[in-house]
Amino acid sequence: MGKVHLEIEGISFSYGAEPILDQVSFTVPTGQLLGIIGPNGSGKSTLLRNISRTLKPHLGRVLLENRDITSMGSLEIARQMAVVPQENSYDFPFTVEEIVMMGRTPHLGRFQQEGPRDRKIVEEALTITNCAHLAHKAVTELSGGERQRVTIARALAQEPKILLLDEPTAHLDINHQTEILNIVRRLNRDLGLTVIMVLHDLNLASEYCDQLLLLKGGRIFKMGPPQEVITRESIAAVYGSRVLIRRHPLHGRPQITILSRNTAAAQRKREIRVHVVGGGGMAAALMGELVYAGYQVTAGVLNIGDSDWEQAKALGIPTVEAPPFSPLTEEAHAKNLRLIEQAQWVILAPIPFGEGNMKNLEALQVAAARGQRVIVIDGIPIHRRDYTGGRAFEEYQRLLAMGVAKVKEEAEIHQLLEEEVPPQ
Amino acid sequence: MVSGKRGFKQPTIILILFLLLLVSVILALGIGAVPISAAETIGILGGRLPLVGRLFSKDAVYIAPSHHTIVTKLRLPRVLLAVLVGSSLAVSGATFQGLFKNPMADPYIIGVSAGAALGGTTALALSLRLRFLGIGAVPLFAFFGALLTMGLVYNLARVGQRVPVMSLLLAGIAVGSVLQALVSLVTYFSESELQKIVFWLMGSLSGRSWDYFFLSLPYALASMLIIWMYARDLNAFLLGEEPAQHLGIDVERTKRHLLWAASMLTAVAVATSGLIGFVGLVVPHIVRLLFGPDHRILLPAAALSGGIFLVWVDTCARILLPPLELPVGLLTALIGGPFFLYLLRKRKHTLY
Repeated sequence: MGKVHLEIEGISFSYGAEPILDQVSFTVPTGQLLGIIGPNGSGKSTLLRNISRTLKPHLGRVLLENRDITSMGSLEIARQMAVVPQENSYDFPFTVEEIVMMGRTPHLGRFQQEGPRDRKIVEEALTITNCAHLAHKAVTELSGGERQRVTIARALAQEPKILLLDEPTAHLDINHQTEILNIVRRLNRDLGLTVIMVLHDLNLASEYCDQLLLLKGGRIFKMGPPQEVITRESIAAVYGSRVLIRRHPLHGRPQITILSRNTAAAQRKREIRVHVVGGGGMAAALMGELVYAGYQVTAGVLNIGDSDWEQAKALGIPTVEAPPFSPLTEEAHAKNLRLIEQAQWVILAPIPFGEGNMKNLEALQVAAARGQRVIVIDGIPIHRRDYTGGRAFEEYQRLLAMGVAKVKEEAEIHQLLEEEVPPQ
Repeated sequence: MVSGKRGFKQPTIILILFLLLLVSVILALGIGAVPISAAETIGILGGRLPLVGRLFSKDAVYIAPSHHTIVTKLRLPRVLLAVLVGSSLAVSGATFQGLFKNPMADPYIIGVSAGAALGGTTALALSLRLRFLGIGAVPLFAFFGALLTMGLVYNLARVGQRVPVMSLLLAGIAVGSVLQALVSLVTYFSESELQKIVFWLMGSLSGRSWDYFFLSLPYALASMLIIWMYARDLNAFLLGEEPAQHLGIDVERTKRHLLWAASMLTAVAVATSGLIGFVGLVVPHIVRLLFGPDHRILLPAAALSGGIFLVWVDTCARILLPPLELPVGLLTALIGGPFFLYLLRKRKHTLY
């Protein structure tokens, strides 16, 4: 790592008058696994095709180990850089072995026969891509995933130092997607290949790539490790979608869940503000559902580190927070009241009450007294979540007596809220 | 053959096909109004070979002097021309199919044949008496008609430095239809030469002298050699032009050379024998079905098979309805079509 393998210097490219790439510059160190991501039409594939010299940039240049690739012969490039295209047209019944042997083309003279060394390289390429058992099968008889592996094997037979892949997982099911990407990762880690791949799936890109390059309208919007690139802000700015970002429970890379449903109903719900009083994980699912349905959601007061707090952070909703395991401060309480005041609905999740969060119950009484619409989820009897020796029980009963709506299940909340949604 | 290792190695296939071609030529030389035995034919041919000629002693077989003339002056040039034309069409067809990645491609796909037809028809209609190196006006006009058309189509299809296959096909079809209409127009206005024109368009090898063979030979051989040099590149072309480029192939240059070489083969074939259909379409297919799609086997095997095929079809054209001669172009389709269908039915799972 560290040594610059590929340098892209201010590449601009356009099809006719329409600019596709605009002043794109970055470097790829040896041994990096770089993912190019971005929305449709952002120039991902065009960028890859400029790097592979399929297209020639109108401005700027591509340096391969400090040499301008336009000054190199196509054979010379083919010995250093192999390309796995998005679609493979295998229309003629070559055997898998014959297809992979074609990867030796740049190393063979015009009339030179393939020798034992070529056969050995082909065999190794077949093995590392899990294709050895397919060697004598006709490519026309293979499934999509098998074809893609054969194409990677063919690229490997070129003995490249750089591997370019254009959406290698397009059209594949999830199982084959991970199989292909595991192979790519193996080539990167075990064989030390520098890999640049265009990916559509942001979660796969985040999971597999060391470095991500996020394109927007032909310019680099952001480049860096997945943690820096896959953020709610950048995804909203580039894709225009609201997403929930969480660390993947197994590999810790950021993972995206799309939130906004751009339906007309979701648009109308955006005008309605709902405040959720939660804690202890009792409100996490509800907050997610409300955000997903399109409502403007706020939350409070949540203790930092609590799982409801984590959910609120991931959802990116305005939240009043308090330090972990501490009683609510007056300041937090005041903030909570302000959020409550701005909401059309206030919902109390079936949270346990201790001395520390009695203020939350008080805040709801204030709201009810003001005549705000309050919904209490009463799925778990209050005496089983009262850790104050009866005080919470009493206050809770007082709240119920103030004319709030009481529901047993969260699903009922959606029905209640629907009544508030403005008509079409 | 499709799954698993290919049955034969390349040299074996080529050797077997070559021997088949040799036997076909010898047998075909003996067939006709005057039957001549294979032994006699071998004696006549062998005696004329340099160096080893003396081994074919004149006493071994009695050879009638008239037979000598029939074989060497009449039948041999025609049979060898059949080999040459058959080979040219088959190799040209295989090349176009590979270049276009399209099994429907044939030597006539980009309108070269229509150009040749217009040239030949015009020469016939004007009853030109012109001769050049023993060759009449019709083949000369056809040959240059074909090459001019190729140049026209190529330049119409060019976009900057590139010649996209799709625009080549479209330009070929457009130019072809215009030329075809002109052929009809010329035919329509030349009542007196109508029969000649129609017969020439159907394709025939009847009455072709040695001049045809020797004048065509260098062009055909050179073109085939060029195409053979690009056998491995043609394999890569089947993956698509971009993948071929990524394997280090200069795609545009290769395409240019292959187009011109294949068109030259078509021009030679059409100029000497008119429009003989089906050989260029079906023979490469049959060879691909039998030996696989690798052009390093496909091209030589198609050349030999095309030769064998046309020798036999032309022999049939000579003898089926004596003393009449059938146009060989009719027979190629009549015989080749059903045989091809039979092969397709037998191997339903792969069309090409």
